[in-house]
Amino acid sequence: GQANHNVARAVGFGDLVQIKKQLISVISLCKERGLVHSVKWASELAFALKPLPMSELPPPAPLTEEDVEDLDALGLAKSYFDLKEYDRAAYFLRGCRSKKAYFLYMYSRYLSGEKKKDDETVDSLGPLEKGQVRNEALRELRVELSKKHRTGELDGFTLYLYGVVLRKLDLLKEAVDVFVEATHALPLHWGAWLELCNLITNIEMLKSLSLPDCWIRDFFLAHMYTELQMIKEALQKYQSLIEAGFSKSTYIISQIAVAYHNIRDIDQALSLFNELREQDPYRIENMDTFSNLLYVRSMKPELSYLAHNLVEIDKYRVETCCVIGNYYSLRSQHEKAALYFQRALKLNPRCLGAWTLMGHEYMEMKNTSAAIQAYRHAIEVNKRDYRAWYGLGQTYEILKMHFYCLYYYRRAHQLRPNDSRMLVALGECYEKLSQLSEAKKCYWRAYSVGDVERMALLKLAKLHEQLNESDEAAHCYIIYIQDIFSCGELLEHVEVSTALRYLGQYYFKNKRYDEASLCAQRCCDYNDAREEGKALLRQISQVRDQGEASSADVSLPCVFGSLSNNNTPVRRVSPLDLSSVTP
Amino acid sequence: MASVHESLYFNPMMTNGVVHANVFGIKDWVTPYKISVLVLLDEMTISKRMTLLERRRLNKLILPLQQGPDLTLRHFLKTVEECSAETAFAVKLRLHMMVVGELKDMESFFDTLPNPFSDAESEASKTSVVGLFMRHMLLAYNKLSFSQVYKLYTALQRYYDDCLGSQPGPPTAPPVDADMELSEMELTSTEDGAEGKMDKEDDEAPRRCPLSQKQAEYFLARQAYLLKNDENKALKPAALQEELNNMLKFNPDFAEAHYLSYLNSMRVQDVFISTHSLLHYFDRLILTGGDGKSNGDEGYGRSLRYAALNLAALHCRFGHYQQAELALQEAIRIAQESNDHVCLQHCLSWLYTLEQMKGSDSSVLTEDSVKMAAHFGLPYLASLGIQSLVQQGATGGKAANMLMDALKDTDILHWKHSLSELIDISLAQTTSIWRMYGKSTMALQCAQVLLNMNSLEQVDFGVQQNNTEAFAVVLCHLAELHAEQGLFGASSEILKHLKERFPPHTQHAKLWMLCDLKIQFERAMNDGKYHLAEPHVAAIAALDQMEGLYRKGLVMKAQNQTTDAYRVLQRLQLLCEKTKCTEMIIRVMLTTAELHWESSGFSTALPLLLQALVLARQHHLQALASETILHLAFSQLMLGVPEQALNILHEAMEPILAHGALLDKGRALLLVAKCQMAVSGGREDRRTGLEQAVQTLDEAAAYFSRMGCKDRLRDTHYLQARLHHALGHTAQRNECALLFRMVDQELPPARYGLPDG
Repeated sequence: GQANHNVARAVGFGDLVQIKKQLISVISLCKERGLVHSVKWASELAFALKPLPMSELPPPAPLTEEDVEDLDALGLAKSYFDLKEYDRAAYFLRGCRSKKAYFLYMYSRYLSGEKKKDDETVDSLGPLEKGQVRNEALRELRVELSKKHRTGELDGFTLYLYGVVLRKLDLLKEAVDVFVEATHALPLHWGAWLELCNLITNIEMLKSLSLPDCWIRDFFLAHMYTELQMIKEALQKYQSLIEAGFSKSTYIISQIAVAYHNIRDIDQALSLFNELREQDPYRIENMDTFSNLLYVRSMKPELSYLAHNLVEIDKYRVETCCVIGNYYSLRSQHEKAALYFQRALKLNPRCLGAWTLMGHEYMEMKNTSAAIQAYRHAIEVNKRDYRAWYGLGQTYEILKMHFYCLYYYRRAHQLRPNDSRMLVALGECYEKLSQLSEAKKCYWRAYSVGDVERMALLKLAKLHEQLNESDEAAHCYIIYIQDIFSCGELLEHVEVSTALRYLGQYYFKNKRYDEASLCAQRCCDYNDAREEGKALLRQISQVRDQGEASSADVSLPCVFGSLSNNNTPVRRVSPLDLSSVTP
Repeated sequence: MASVHESLYFNPMMTNGVVHANVFGIKDWVTPYKISVLVLLDEMTISKRMTLLERRRLNKLILPLQQGPDLTLRHFLKTVEECSAETAFAVKLRLHMMVVGELKDMESFFDTLPNPFSDAESEASKTSVVGLFMRHMLLAYNKLSFSQVYKLYTALQRYYDDCLGSQPGPPTAPPVDADMELSEMELTSTEDGAEGKMDKEDDEAPRRCPLSQKQAEYFLARQAYLLKNDENKALKPAALQEELNNMLKFNPDFAEAHYLSYLNSMRVQDVFISTHSLLHYFDRLILTGGDGKSNGDEGYGRSLRYAALNLAALHCRFGHYQQAELALQEAIRIAQESNDHVCLQHCLSWLYTLEQMKGSDSSVLTEDSVKMAAHFGLPYLASLGIQSLVQQGATGGKAANMLMDALKDTDILHWKHSLSELIDISLAQTTSIWRMYGKSTMALQCAQVLLNMNSLEQVDFGVQQNNTEAFAVVLCHLAELHAEQGLFGASSEILKHLKERFPPHTQHAKLWMLCDLKIQFERAMNDGKYHLAEPHVAAIAALDQMEGLYRKGLVMKAQNQTTDAYRVLQRLQLLCEKTKCTEMIIRVMLTTAELHWESSGFSTALPLLLQALVLARQHHLQALASETILHLAFSQLMLGVPEQALNILHEAMEPILAHGALLDKGRALLLVAKCQMAVSGGREDRRTGLEQAVQTLDEAAAYFSRMGCKDRLRDTHYLQARLHHALGHTAQRNECALLFRMVDQELPPARYGLPDG
């Protein structure tokens, strides 16, 4: 196998045949060692590439003297290993000298420890002892592996195992170093990259690592960018991978779909998931994300179809339970939804999404205390779960504790500084607490980072209106109307008409009758503002009859003078420019 | 992090999404340590040969052993050995038999354990503390599955071997590995200090058994009690936090630990962790309290209100007044909505505290609060309010008899309800008030009463409740009072004691630090060593801004930087008027008047002094009033009306001699002597007048020498010498002149005192 890996470094994306060959050989290597997930990943990728002709197929890795010696023991042990009898497998491998046997020996011991740990947890002496249950094998494994590591006897697979052991012992820094070494020794083993991915917390750390120059690194980087919420970079990477010839890979499609989901580009994500389901109809992975999207769009029939389909495939999967939970939630059957999220947690307690979703369900059921508990659990699993912090904030807001919930919203905002929803929530709380200047800042910031729900400007405008800052209010309304019409969606007529009404009055007061009548005419397009629009038009014509000149030459005061001192580039709009926005 | 994940295994006791803190309904379970305690108890019931003394010692030991955290076997046996060596040996032997034997030995031990229950005569009858404990243990043991029993047995073996490894037991891991491991660990820790250390502690963890719920509760209660009453005896902040984190790792649902963590981080003024812990605690509390009732007295609606209130208190303590106000408003609103008068009352008392902290007048609020608290039968809050009112009244110049009456009334209330904490505070407050009024004898008495009183509260955990703020205040007063009387040895003894009782990092340490600095400053100033006093100014300013500014002015004046001193004093006066600190205003006026003297503006000083006198009388500040009179008399003397000066001096002499500091007594007598000399100037009875003055001066010199105030001592000797000369007492004159010469040589050549009369 070693020869292959050296080649791997030189091969670019130009040579898909070489890549395919490498994939095939690494699949067999991983298979022999029981690394099922890496096998799956590599196989999926290999499947996306064109099949090789007979002559091009890579020869099986040559056997060494030691391999031949251990052949029988290895065969026996592997069969026990596959049957999850790890101790037994380890027993028969204890004297073997080949590298393959050594890896399987150590790996069996590790897995045996893990399995026992899981069993112990159920059987511990008392509830407080639960946190203490540990994999007893880890320390021994670490000692043995570190000895070999120092003498340089570890190959790519054993390095990977050493890294896993270190990570389990919470020696994260050492673990990162070992995983980097593992990727250098065997770049094609996806498992090592994935472990590395979980340990890297920020972009600076990523940049500081020296990684092997191999095509697989692009996959890793793309995955990493998605994890670090650098969605634009991730999408670029995936796009270039598709162009390089992996267009059929379901793995890449799913990753792109998840990326789109993270930046809330729902349409793109939905179409990609649909494509994914066409290509791979029995896939269960990532389907919970898909169901989230369907939920947000309230697509009941599609969600129902998905839920039925998944139940038929496998009803005891975390993803299936989450999908069903979402389904019930959409149908407002929140008790059942909560039940399914609980089931998902039963299947995998580390599944943090389910804790948060369960919290949302309890919120819907007005069971605030249970909601708080669920969110707290989510935070305990992952302190950086901004949805749980946000959910806690919402819970307290429902309980009308506006000051109290500020803390939670602030935490959520810290985690997602560019998410307008937290900022709007913060702004609303400040408004309730009569901290109007803080509220204004929040709303303006929410608008600046790209308001998702388009409510920030409106709220800001109303706040200005309340404070009799009519120029600022008018300007906010103008930008609001521009925004609404420019994106072509006509969501809430009520709010648009409110804005138009205010603007009409505003222009009228400033004696700019042309603009005022324009606004008044627009008002007439809306049912609730029609009467007022007409009244305003009458008033205008009255005033005009009296021969009062429109003071068009009076330029509007710089509306954002007070706000733009932070050098935010503000789209300056001519107030007359409403002609293009005919609804 | 990883361990947190593990603790989230799905919980069968989860109902309606709520996991109850006590998951399995078991508060306690069997550990190897508990088995040792059981063996001890069993041994005690069986053995008849024990002497009475030994038995009594062991009986006293039982409760701490049952409640405390798990001990190592060595420690446990040592504790028992101190009571009865024989029993300790028997226990050890029985444990040894159990360990070297088989599983059935442990099984049979538990089988025979309930025997004493049937015997009515036995000390371990079913309902006794011991019996209850044994039954708890039996119950917990019987619930164990086979693998758990086996695990317990191996744990017992390890427990025994870890401590008494010399005995033959199952073979331990080969030593080579252990060595290897050690070196490995050290390697890591040199590579990366923090992580390596964490890892080490993690490895230590299994040896430190987790606490059972009961033990954890006991631990928390004890630490919280210690934090409140005697911080020194509590664990150090870092160690306590580590324990708490450990406890939370084992059971994240143990909400009380979060609260203690809040208290603990308040100790080190960590706003981030304390907020986090407080909110976390209430998030958890809401779960345990909750039966969905959001309005009633019980249920989680109640904890919501108190959550907001506590948040307000937190912001208050960190001085975030605006935030505190918002949180308080919220608490008040919720409490109003749900008609919770008790909570409202708490809110109200925090409200006036907040107003007070912000420096605005809150007496109306406080009065309301007191009335309401009395109405709802909350004696604690009521008398806390009264105490606060008294404090405000004292600084605001209310009549002294009213204040004392109020305090007396609250004292009755305290004794009736046994509010020992408030009794302490009340006494400390009385001390402070007497001191403020300048009645040092009364202050001294009150202080002694508090210090000699036996606390009402029962002595828990071997701690007398005497490391509270009240005690610190009283001790500080005591130190200052002693220093005033020139008893510097005693005063420094008291300060040393304070330092031991309230180490520098604890919350009340600032009190004695300020007190210590003030005393040192005064001494340096009296010695005329201004360069020594100067560094103290900065230190005082760090603890108390106004006091620091005042002392700065004093030093500047002493160093003849008149203009600068005047500017500082003006600034201080503005500040004082804003905060309504009358005492300081008067002192500033007096010092300003002294500045006027320096420029011979004796007549300009008069209006200032009169103003100060009015203020001092209004506020019943006798000491300051007397001092003002001295200043007035001096001005009059300098203006050439010594008869007038003598007249008003007579008024001030009595209180000064009764209550004043030594220095003041000396100064007053010196002034009297000067006046006597001036008065007797032109008359026939000059001689008697001068003789009187000589006597007065003798007395003054005695006071000054006791205070070690050399500057003034020199002046006095000089005057004495002059007087003796005038009277023709040559011998005495020479003696005084010699004394003058000696003192003068010790002092730096400085400006001479004011021209004498």
